[in-house]
Amino acid sequence: MGCAAGRPYPDIFVNAVDYIILIGTLLGIAAYAIWGTKGRQDLKTYLKGSGTTGWLTIGLSVMATQASAVTFLSTPGQGYESGLGFVQNYFGAPLALIVIAAVFVPIYRGLKVYTAYEYLGHRFDPKTRLLGAGFFLLQRGIGAGLTIYAPAIVLSTVMGWRLDATIVCSGLLVVVYTVAGGCDAVNLTQKYQIGIIFAGMIAAFFVLLAKLPAGLTFTDSLALAGGFHKLEAVDFSLNVDRRYTLWTGVLGGMFLALSYFGTDQSQVQRYLSGTSLRESRLGLMFNAVFKIPMQFFILLLGVLIFVFYQFERAPVIFDRAAWNYQVAHGSGARLHALEGDFDRAHAEERQQLQSWLEARHSGNRTAEAAARAASAAAHDRAEAARTETGRVLRAGNPRTANDADYVFITFILDHLPHGLIGLLVTSFFAAALSSKAGELNALGSTTTVDIYRHLVKRDGDDAHYVAASKWFTALWGLLAIAFALFANLSENLIQAVNILGSVFYGVVLGIFLVAFFLKRVGGTAVFWSALAAQALVFALRLTNISYLWYIVIGCAACIAFSMILQAAIGSGKPGAAPAAP
Amino acid sequence: MTTPPDDERTGLPGLRSWGRVYWLVFWIFVAWVALLAALTRIYS
Repeated sequence: MGCAAGRPYPDIFVNAVDYIILIGTLLGIAAYAIWGTKGRQDLKTYLKGSGTTGWLTIGLSVMATQASAVTFLSTPGQGYESGLGFVQNYFGAPLALIVIAAVFVPIYRGLKVYTAYEYLGHRFDPKTRLLGAGFFLLQRGIGAGLTIYAPAIVLSTVMGWRLDATIVCSGLLVVVYTVAGGCDAVNLTQKYQIGIIFAGMIAAFFVLLAKLPAGLTFTDSLALAGGFHKLEAVDFSLNVDRRYTLWTGVLGGMFLALSYFGTDQSQVQRYLSGTSLRESRLGLMFNAVFKIPMQFFILLLGVLIFVFYQFERAPVIFDRAAWNYQVAHGSGARLHALEGDFDRAHAEERQQLQSWLEARHSGNRTAEAAARAASAAAHDRAEAARTETGRVLRAGNPRTANDADYVFITFILDHLPHGLIGLLVTSFFAAALSSKAGELNALGSTTTVDIYRHLVKRDGDDAHYVAASKWFTALWGLLAIAFALFANLSENLIQAVNILGSVFYGVVLGIFLVAFFLKRVGGTAVFWSALAAQALVFALRLTNISYLWYIVIGCAACIAFSMILQAAIGSGKPGAAPAAP
Repeated sequence: MTTPPDDERTGLPGLRSWGRVYWLVFWIFVAWVALLAALTRIYS
């Protein structure tokens, strides 16, 4: 089973054990969530949980909502291609989480709001609340489609499943248990899902270490990776054209994390479900401590896969479906010629690396340096053939995905034992479901509280709003599935998700910072300033400025415009002071 | 000296105020960046 004729990876065999682990685990967790949250019909419990959630569950839930399948599927590919530099993207997260725990959470909890945007209504006016909720629904609605589409396209390709069936089945499963159980079901499932994810990633790491060539120690692996610039984790460069540096990471990453963890309802809902302020804060501090090491570990996994493939026969391209498609559609001769170039260069590189290893162990520095230089030259030739292959594939089919997204799953299917393959594939689906559940839960809550209850029906009872929330959650789930069925991506998946967030997050964060800290600015000034700042961010997409700066610029523009406009229109009706916790 | 409300208690040994918790988390962050910078320097 799992090896249908005509599939792109005919040499890969996923057996019954793998399928039992995959289907049994996913259905088991979903059934447990539905059973464990049965009969909860009041709005507060449905949207904010039963109020008994401890800090560890909150911490894991916050982590699971952020770390989607893309994180675990695509990030090792980033490590393989570009090394550890991407970890800098997360440098701002601990600082942002401290600010959120100290300032944001006490205000949200003090006002007993269901959504972050409800606070904007308290502080400014209904139109600013609707603007904040609207930005969230627009951005997260698209994002929810991506969180289904991104893993589905990779997993369906390598497993030989139909893409549409993969999207629909995984999408419907998460819709069913999120609609049935609400916030508590999301928290409950995320705890177990993140446990499965960590188990899978740690198991893959140790199997990878065991599969490195005999005689190649962990230190040798690091030295080899360093020689190919894969261990450049921190870049102090001030060049704004570089996507990941210490400065973009700390400043841009901090603004990204501030807006995501502090104003995105999919995260706010997680920590507002805590028993007390203490539990919410400790849940956030858990993430502040473990976010960077977690991302480092996942990237290091990719770097070690790179080392592994320096001694193994590596494919010229990991996306074999794209390769097979172009071979069958007229580019076969060109692609096989490039594959020949790649194989020759890669074989020479392997030979030189063996010489390098022997010289290193014998302490012969001269021979070590010579072998290293020769291996680097061969590596450059192999990479040139690989790059050209990718270009030929994209020229023939622009829908060809980024090859880095296929690195980790190809390694898993080619080199891991059965059972572990099932566990890893389960991990990817668990990650997809956990982040998707958090998003749907937030989309349903925001639509119910900030749109429906606020604009359409103000006098309903709890049962009515719970029913409405279930319908809206289901509707967003179906929209996300529909979006995923028509999606098309060329960026690396994890970067696509981050870029989408960066376009809207800065302005939303600006609105919240004005609300918290600029007491004299009122709703009208911040509303029009936010729209102007958003137009500015759209214009930045036409420049070469790294997307991490969009948030800083969007936020700063929103704050500056608000102050100028408020000064221009006079004191008028400034917003109410922020509520004390 | 007044007793802080329950929500103000951290419940962590040796870290009686939230300010201390935040400083500890901040220094853990600095330590991570320093370790990664050292890794970069050693293997570049």
